[in-house]
Amino acid sequence: MRTLAIELRKEKRTGIIPVLLAVGILGAAYAFVNFLVRKDTLLNLPLDPMDVLLTQLYGMIMILNMFAIIVAACMVYSMEFKGNAVKKMYMLPISVPAMYFCKFLIITVMLFVAVTLQNLALAQIGTTDLPQGVFELGTLITFAGYSFITSMPVLSFMLLVSSRFENMWVPLGVGVAGFLSGMALATSDMGLLLIHPFVVMLKPAVAMSAQPDMTVTIVSVIETVLFLGAGLWMAKNLRYE
Amino acid sequence: MNYVITTEQLTKKYKNFTSVNNVSLHIRKGSIYGFIGPNGAGKSTTMKMLLGLTAPTKGSFTIDGQHFPDDRLTILKEIGSFIESPSFYANLTGRENLDIIRRILGLSKSSVEDALELVGLTEFGDRLAKKYSLGMKQRLGLAGAMLGRPPILILDEPTNGLDPSGIHEIRNLVKSLLDLYDCTILISSHMLSEIELIADDIGILNHGRLLFEGSLDDLRQNALQSGFAADNLEDVFLSMVEKDNAARKQRAKL
Repeated sequence: MRTLAIELRKEKRTGIIPVLLAVGILGAAYAFVNFLVRKDTLLNLPLDPMDVLLTQLYGMIMILNMFAIIVAACMVYSMEFKGNAVKKMYMLPISVPAMYFCKFLIITVMLFVAVTLQNLALAQIGTTDLPQGVFELGTLITFAGYSFITSMPVLSFMLLVSSRFENMWVPLGVGVAGFLSGMALATSDMGLLLIHPFVVMLKPAVAMSAQPDMTVTIVSVIETVLFLGAGLWMAKNLRYE
Repeated sequence: MNYVITTEQLTKKYKNFTSVNNVSLHIRKGSIYGFIGPNGAGKSTTMKMLLGLTAPTKGSFTIDGQHFPDDRLTILKEIGSFIESPSFYANLTGRENLDIIRRILGLSKSSVEDALELVGLTEFGDRLAKKYSLGMKQRLGLAGAMLGRPPILILDEPTNGLDPSGIHEIRNLVKSLLDLYDCTILISSHMLSEIELIADDIGILNHGRLLFEGSLDDLRQNALQSGFAADNLEDVFLSMVEKDNAARKQRAKL
């Protein structure tokens, strides 16, 4: 708890929390505007209205979330490397893995807030703009949980990468490369491609149904835990040189 | 003798380069130990090993009877350190930077003001650390090391980047710390003239090897025996280093 409080203080003026909040608001605003402008087109698609609401708007929201995760993960370690502050942390009686875990926790909670804001907007659209009796809150909550879980491997992976490179452009480059390659591979049905964390995050966006894919969910959880475990191990065992 | 820091054949190798070679240091409790040597002699690497920033290739060390890495947190609670260059969060003010360290060490709020005052940064405490001049960053680093008045201070070239009056001030500050509270200081420099004004004991390092360890009186004695004036220790230091360099070249030829 003490480490978490210290980490939150360190984040002052970095923009990590505002960027994720902004993306939540921006995603919600996008959903409102998009549905307002394209309501008839969207509802005329040969899909279940709930699938339209959840999958047709998720593409852009997911991209916003992805870039917010990349930027937040880059910034959360850039501030440690900028004034060599991380060196001081290694010389103080603080657990470096605990520090890493708190950074993970902060970005995760803020992403959760962003996803919640976006889904509140979808819930509002669902109750006001979908035909009477079609909106299902349970389906929306399930899809929100699914989209959050599938976003976690990218978060976990990006934090690991940004913790290992002093130059912020490297994790940023990895993030952009991950996004582009993910975009190219997301529509493929090859199961092996799920190793790629960005492909996993893109899966709900390329699906036509709002029903969660169990394989993708399981892979997401495994990758999140694996990348987090690797990051914690590195924080503990690879010393500052 | 009551030693706070002892190292036993401490060695650090980077591939085929030996940065620190079988260094055995003995630092007395309540003393100022001057660690001198030319640039690249291995002073910083030795200090980094003492702080767990880098792992020794061979050898061991104890700090107040404790060992790394098992007692890492206990050891680091007792040490205030400043290695190579000041470390700080650029997005925070000087005061906020010290507050982070204070919270980690579990100290009272007043310790931040105390440290700022010690290094003469009180009036600049609310300025962003990234906007500090080099000298002010150096002072902030020192304030971070002195926060909570730790019993052991490890300072690596703390006067780097300071103007002459700043150097004088920090030198006096380091010297006055022993009177202020019970502490042991390991301080490095590449200038003997600077160290001889404050240190009780010194260790001379060159190319990773410890050429001399003892009190300043021992060094003066050594100077007289080698035909140098006892008041010119800088010459003794330089001749020791040159002699060692010549011997190294000789060994390399063979």
